[in-house]
Amino acid sequence: MSTDPREGGLAGGIKGLSTGAYDARIREREDRLAVLRQVQGELETERDDLEYTKAQRKQKVAAERARVRRMNRDIAALNRRVDSLSASANRNDQRVRTLRTRVPQIQSQSARLQSDLDALEGSGLGDSEADLRRAQLEQQRASLQAEYDLLNQMSLDLAR
Amino acid sequence: MTRHRTRGVRTLAFLAACAFAFKAGGAGVPLDEIRQVLREQALTTPAESLLHDLDAANLAGGLQAIDPAARYFPRALYRSPNQGRDAMSGIGAELLPSGDDLWLLPFQGGAAAAAGLTDRARLRTIDGRSIAGLSLDEIAQRLRGPAGTRVVIGIEDAAGGARRLKIERRSFRPLDVELVQPGAHRILRVREFVAGLTRPALLATVDFIEHAGAFQSEQHPIILDLRDATGGDLFEALDIAALFLPEGAQLATLAARGGVAKTIRAPAGTALEQPLILLIGPGTASAAEILAGILRDHGRARLVGQTTYGKCDSQTDVRLSDGSVLRFTDRAVRLPSGEHCSGVGIAPDLAVDTATLNDLSRLVPRAIGAIHER
Repeated sequence: MSTDPREGGLAGGIKGLSTGAYDARIREREDRLAVLRQVQGELETERDDLEYTKAQRKQKVAAERARVRRMNRDIAALNRRVDSLSASANRNDQRVRTLRTRVPQIQSQSARLQSDLDALEGSGLGDSEADLRRAQLEQQRASLQAEYDLLNQMSLDLAR
Repeated sequence: MTRHRTRGVRTLAFLAACAFAFKAGGAGVPLDEIRQVLREQALTTPAESLLHDLDAANLAGGLQAIDPAARYFPRALYRSPNQGRDAMSGIGAELLPSGDDLWLLPFQGGAAAAAGLTDRARLRTIDGRSIAGLSLDEIAQRLRGPAGTRVVIGIEDAAGGARRLKIERRSFRPLDVELVQPGAHRILRVREFVAGLTRPALLATVDFIEHAGAFQSEQHPIILDLRDATGGDLFEALDIAALFLPEGAQLATLAARGGVAKTIRAPAGTALEQPLILLIGPGTASAAEILAGILRDHGRARLVGQTTYGKCDSQTDVRLSDGSVLRFTDRAVRLPSGEHCSGVGIAPDLAVDTATLNDLSRLVPRAIGAIHER
């Protein structure tokens, strides 16, 4: 026999209530509600994790932008030093030629990294392509920094 | 194997087709300086008669007679190959003529990719009109447009399936190394070698994939797609080769005028040990085929595809006194085996037909199978 009070009119309904079937259905609904609340809690935790990850990514991009800005300033100073070296008696030195060729190139590449990071910060991040782009930019910045250090040392040696 | 010598000039579908030969206007070309630079620095000493015949009105032709790779750039038109790609606005794909077909090569992150073009496809129509009979320049012109505007293209994928794509043009900057995923495998695509940028981008991309849990076994080798890598900075390509080889491994020998040779070896540093597959084809040229040749000679990579373009010489750009630039061949590059691939190309370990070469979904399983044939 059905325990649904909607089946069998009022008498059936009263019968369903008196057999405790109605209580069982209330418990079942409460259990379902508890499961839904648990799922909702998990989703909220996941959302918080995503927000945290997103905030972390933003922090990383902001830190990277600061590093690139510093590097841009350093390269600009190196470029000025190379200009004065080029005007000196060393201008035919192979190392000066290397500096004159490569320093402007890393300057423009560094400026490109800067604009890419600016664009990345405005993109909202969070998708895998943005993550890949950020990973590439970080590695490229580190690589340019290492090259800048070598070129800077070369310019200092030449200036002595 | 039949070599594809009909490979056309590639152009960006959203930029002026600046790859076409420059016709010198004739005014103010420093011909004497060009002659002197070539006399002193070109790999092969040019005949004086050819130097004498250089003429501002047909400078491109005169230079070609001396050195097929030589080009002259007026100051305003010169763009350093080490600048990397600028941000672009458009459909986000390159045009590649091949035989009777015109292929669209989408950039990861570009509008065409966002509209669903994940791999190369033959372009058939633009806004409902057939492209038959149109010049490359006219086609590029129709595809170009400002960000936010739309174009509908009719394409046919490598397997022959035809469809229409509505693309909203937008601004983007191509990644220095793209990560494409035609199926279960992720493929790293390099289109050019930019000094100081491509190697770190490649390294970052490999790390990125490893963090995602790939490259655990021979079922997941690193697959490097060089099918459309037309070259770029030679030393960047050598640095990338060094990523996969032990310290001290011979990379290449650069031979300059008069037989002066310099051997380049892998420096200490990162050594990636995952199995490696390179996808190569007739569009793989210059620095890209040198990279392929080095890794093949060391037994470090399996080459899958078709014979490469066949240009294993290195060019240099010399800035002239008026700010214009002369590009010419100054070094021949020999692979570790002593081979010089100019005019010959690098043959694959596993050759595939053109239909397979153009279809990643078929090419990649063949390439994975090649790892087990070692």
